[in-house]
Amino acid sequence: MRGDKKFRRIAAWSITASVMLLAASVIPTPARATAEKTAQTGAVEPKPAATRTVIDEVGRKVTVPAEVQRVVSLAPNLTEMVYALGLQDKLVGDTDYCDTPPAAKSKPHVGGPMSPSLETIVGLRPDLVLATTSINHVETVDALQHLGIPVYTSDPQSVEGMLASTRRMADLMGANEKGEEVVGQLQSRLDALKAKLAGRPMAHVLFVVWMDPLITIGQNTFIADALKWAGAESVVMSDQKWPHLSFEEIVRVQPEYIVLTPDHAESNATGLADLRSRNGWRELDAVVAGHVIVMDSAVNRPSPGMIDAIEQAARMLHPDAFTNDAEPKSASPDGKPQSATPPAPHVKQRNHEETECTACAR
Amino acid sequence: MRPLTPKRILWTCGWLAALLFVTVVLALRMGAYSISVPDIVKALFNGVIGHWQEIPAEHQMVVFGLRLPRIALEILVGASLSVAGVGFQALLRNPLADPYVLGVSSGAALGAIVSLIAVPHTPGAIQVAAFLGAAITIGIVYFLGRRGGQLDSATLLLAGIISASLLSSIIMFLMTTLTTRDFRGMAFWLMGDLSSPPPVTNVFGWLGFLFTVFLIAAGAIYTTSSDLNLILTGEEEARHLGVNVRRVKLVVYVGASILTGLAVSVSGAIGYVGLLVPHVMRMLFGTDHRLLIPASVIGGAIAIVVADTLARTVAVPTEVPVGAMTALAGAPVFIYLMRRRVR
Repeated sequence: MRGDKKFRRIAAWSITASVMLLAASVIPTPARATAEKTAQTGAVEPKPAATRTVIDEVGRKVTVPAEVQRVVSLAPNLTEMVYALGLQDKLVGDTDYCDTPPAAKSKPHVGGPMSPSLETIVGLRPDLVLATTSINHVETVDALQHLGIPVYTSDPQSVEGMLASTRRMADLMGANEKGEEVVGQLQSRLDALKAKLAGRPMAHVLFVVWMDPLITIGQNTFIADALKWAGAESVVMSDQKWPHLSFEEIVRVQPEYIVLTPDHAESNATGLADLRSRNGWRELDAVVAGHVIVMDSAVNRPSPGMIDAIEQAARMLHPDAFTNDAEPKSASPDGKPQSATPPAPHVKQRNHEETECTACAR
Repeated sequence: MRPLTPKRILWTCGWLAALLFVTVVLALRMGAYSISVPDIVKALFNGVIGHWQEIPAEHQMVVFGLRLPRIALEILVGASLSVAGVGFQALLRNPLADPYVLGVSSGAALGAIVSLIAVPHTPGAIQVAAFLGAAITIGIVYFLGRRGGQLDSATLLLAGIISASLLSSIIMFLMTTLTTRDFRGMAFWLMGDLSSPPPVTNVFGWLGFLFTVFLIAAGAIYTTSSDLNLILTGEEEARHLGVNVRRVKLVVYVGASILTGLAVSVSGAIGYVGLLVPHVMRMLFGTDHRLLIPASVIGGAIAIVVADTLARTVAVPTEVPVGAMTALAGAPVFIYLMRRRVR
């Protein structure tokens, strides 16, 4: 027992000492590193001309070079936005999911938006990283800021929020005029749409995000806001963003329309015919009446392309608003230029415009 | 087996530490950003002597900003879970005991989540809550696992498995119904993940705090190692030899719960490390806790550094949760041990 005690003491001391030594050697070194690093960046930073500091949409200070040259986008909608602003040459990296426009697929990828590789981002030497609250994690943003890489976080909660966000980011990347132009066009399309739908009752819709399990949208999502612009309201009142729904609830509320989007899971319904082949669904009033619309998947992303999806949905949900509107030359009270064009050419022209302003987004 | 002398402990731990060092350098080398070993050594050397200007900014970011803090965290988590595993195995006298299998990790995760809901942004609260979660869970499992006043191996494991699944379902319930999500997702808590960077501004001060807690808890368990050896041969005999069995058990119970809570609070519930590492260490160095505990500290560190390095490099630039890696290696070992015991 005595020898054991002595042994125990020696061993305990040596182990504690070695572990402490290890801890001591690991911890202070990088601590010094960060201190030195800030000192160093403090010394280097002032040299390259001017920087500017803005407050981003979550209230963080972001300091970027006056002329941003290398941008990394951490979300598909932000990538789409960068292309819509004609700034694709400055985009040095995006995520695995950035597929719109197709050219975005050939940019270097930094991983998925939820868990991008920080090392890959560092290696791309960005002077600005774009993030969004709708998909990126706050830890990612924190970590990048900690490394001294400026991150602008956008927080689009609504369609108009998306437009404001686009404008601010255009300004940040030195494309102020282009930003005003793009946003102005989109805003006038929204205004025209609002005028056309004025006075019409909202269609009560079920927006299907996922079929199995059944997931829909809450009232606090940008999709719910987009639907309102298209003259529709989600029948599900929920504070959650993506509530799971029981099918019985749908039977109870009986939505007027079912809104599907083409992407997401393979289990998702593709359209009316598909829903008619599914048990339960085929008995719903909306399905019996054929009130099933397939909305462009652009509605899932708060990006400029979303306006197309809104217009398209409005046409399907309120067809009479568009046919009646075209014959009397200015049915809309304020006589927007768009409502003055006859129906068929109007559609064509709209598509044409679309290819111009969001050519890249298609 | 050769007699266990302090010299042998030091030599064994020295070799293991050297192996850990090599592993760390290799882990520093691996990643999405490519950097050569000479560059790493140069950066480390310049860092140690304070010549920061000599290190390219990107190397500073990747080596000191990203990889070193993460490796330090891997070492902490691996060491904590392994010592917790040794502790629970001794406490429950069951070689299959492991914080994850017994549901203790899930209890700690639930505690951590509750603290994030109840007292967000309180430094240290999450560790305390995770410790409480772990301690309560192991207490419940311990009492459910008794049969006629005796710990029954099968009953104990069943109690642990049931607690684990119950606690996991509570976590899932909370994560799906909560509308605010200021904290990490379900996969983090249930599977264990080191990929998302720590949610603190001063990473190194935070690591210092975690390592201090680790040293206290693991040190406390280590002081009981001679007594644990005696207790494992029989509690009655140990009592006759003057061992305060109650006190030893209390120290190990609290210490192992703290270590589990500590690991889970930073990495979620990483499985099987506390099972795998102590067993490998027993095979290599024998069952004497005076060597087993320090060997498990370093061995656990090596195991997680390797597992997490694989997790972040097998599918670049996407990451695999480290818990998936440890389960791949750990579950077969668990089955092997279980079958051997049954026979």
